[in-house]
Amino acid sequence: MSRGSTDCSNNSHVPAAAESTEVSPHALQLTGVRARYGDGPWVVDVEQLTVNRGERVAIIGPSGSGKTSLLRLINGYVPAVEGQLQILGRTPRDQGRRRSARTAVAFIFQEFHLVDRASVFDNVLWGRLGHVHPLSSLLGRFPLADKRAAMEAIAEVDLTPQATQRADTLSGGQKQRVGVARALAQEPQILLADEPVSNLDPALADDILELLVRSAERRNATLLLTLHQPELARRHADRIVGMREGHVVHDGRSGDLTDADLKRIYGREGIPQLEPRESSARRA
Amino acid sequence: MMSPSSDIDARIPRPSPMQSFGRVAAILGVVAAIAWGWHGTSFDPARFVAGLPRLREFVGRMLPPDADVASTVLRSTVETLQIALFGTLLSAIASVVLGVAAARTLAPAWLAIPLKWMLSALRAIPMLLLALLFVSTVGLGPFPGVLAVAVHSTGMLGKFYAEAFDGARSGPLEALDSAGASWLQRVRFGVLPQVAPVLARDTLFRFELNLRESLALGLVGAGGIGLYIQMYTRAFQYDKVATLTIVVLLMVVLVEQASVAVRQRLR
Repeated sequence: MSRGSTDCSNNSHVPAAAESTEVSPHALQLTGVRARYGDGPWVVDVEQLTVNRGERVAIIGPSGSGKTSLLRLINGYVPAVEGQLQILGRTPRDQGRRRSARTAVAFIFQEFHLVDRASVFDNVLWGRLGHVHPLSSLLGRFPLADKRAAMEAIAEVDLTPQATQRADTLSGGQKQRVGVARALAQEPQILLADEPVSNLDPALADDILELLVRSAERRNATLLLTLHQPELARRHADRIVGMREGHVVHDGRSGDLTDADLKRIYGREGIPQLEPRESSARRA
Repeated sequence: MMSPSSDIDARIPRPSPMQSFGRVAAILGVVAAIAWGWHGTSFDPARFVAGLPRLREFVGRMLPPDADVASTVLRSTVETLQIALFGTLLSAIASVVLGVAAARTLAPAWLAIPLKWMLSALRAIPMLLLALLFVSTVGLGPFPGVLAVAVHSTGMLGKFYAEAFDGARSGPLEALDSAGASWLQRVRFGVLPQVAPVLARDTLFRFELNLRESLALGLVGAGGIGLYIQMYTRAFQYDKVATLTIVVLLMVVLVEQASVAVRQRLR
């Protein structure tokens, strides 16, 4: 498709799963997609990127390489100026269906983005807002099925004892678990995680990533996450996409990632070296 | 290696000429404002000292307080409390709606900016003038008092609420949007829980102000204890005024203490 296309020139590009009449094997397809903030330089300039359903893809690259912008583009926060973006096989056009469409894609944030004064249960339950009737939810009335879904998500991240605790009383790792539970409660087909472990210590980081991968696998959901640590990407993802200055400069199986690839992605010496394959496998 | 002390002295930050000029200008400004006010208001401490015996005589006429009017005074004091409470609650409800519409982060500029002007205008009209307007509209009694309190308070609470909404962290809103929440759901679940303590604190503070300001509403026939303040003062019944003062003082202090205690617990 030519670059002049405006197929994704608005934010309403997340399709409802229910809209699909035939199931596309691809979760995401980007063709010639370019995006920027205002009149600034292109922050995303991707010639071709396809992610299959159920894949676990880690995006790595130096700061400012466009990793977060790519995720925000997929989630509709950054409009694509050019190119074609398909999510779950659809390029949506109908603004009116935007709300229900958004539930298919969940986002896990680096800074958790919880409502601090609300309980763990409420934060997770609010992940169901796209599924519930708007008016009854405004009165604080949620169907039992949605409350049950929230509690199941809380149990999945091992926070049942903290369900009634306020979010601002939790540790960083626990807060990120709440963020994961909120995304899981949404029952998404695609999970986007923007540097979900950059605020956590290495042990917690491994725990959270394992949790994310396990949860995505259980739902056959596609997982797309940005990471700063190549070693974590290699341990937890099937595939690694390297970005630099908005472009995809590496795309391959995680097991095939080499130090030379990292040098190309980061464009300089002194980047974190990969662990030897055996010790990496032992840790995983 | 340590730098010589002369080098260190040279690197100590010093105020720029503009900063020095600003400080001097600020001091001169305050002095000028005091002089202007002193001259314009015929401020005269010597006259006050000379009048102290008359103050003593006035207080003497208030004693002992006339306890016979206690029940009448108590009844009208409760009415004042009702005016302040109900007016504040009406104002709080209106202010949530207007505050959302006046918040730049939640409403478009074409709506938020004119609304902020409207709220400023409401604040600018004195409560007593509003009470006069409503007395002429709906007649005498506490009802126009409630309307005056509600309208005047909305000018302040609407602005405070809008500022609180604007100060809410945008992250949780983004997260709820990502979950498919509608605009109303984002306000209800993303903004209100964050700012609830601020709204409650502002509302309690406004209630305290309303209680004190409502004492004067009776002067224009808008209900409450103001009517008796005017009646007893004009009749030189200072012993009755003393009873009234004690009851009002007790009520205001009790309500303020309760309000402060609740506000301190909000977090």
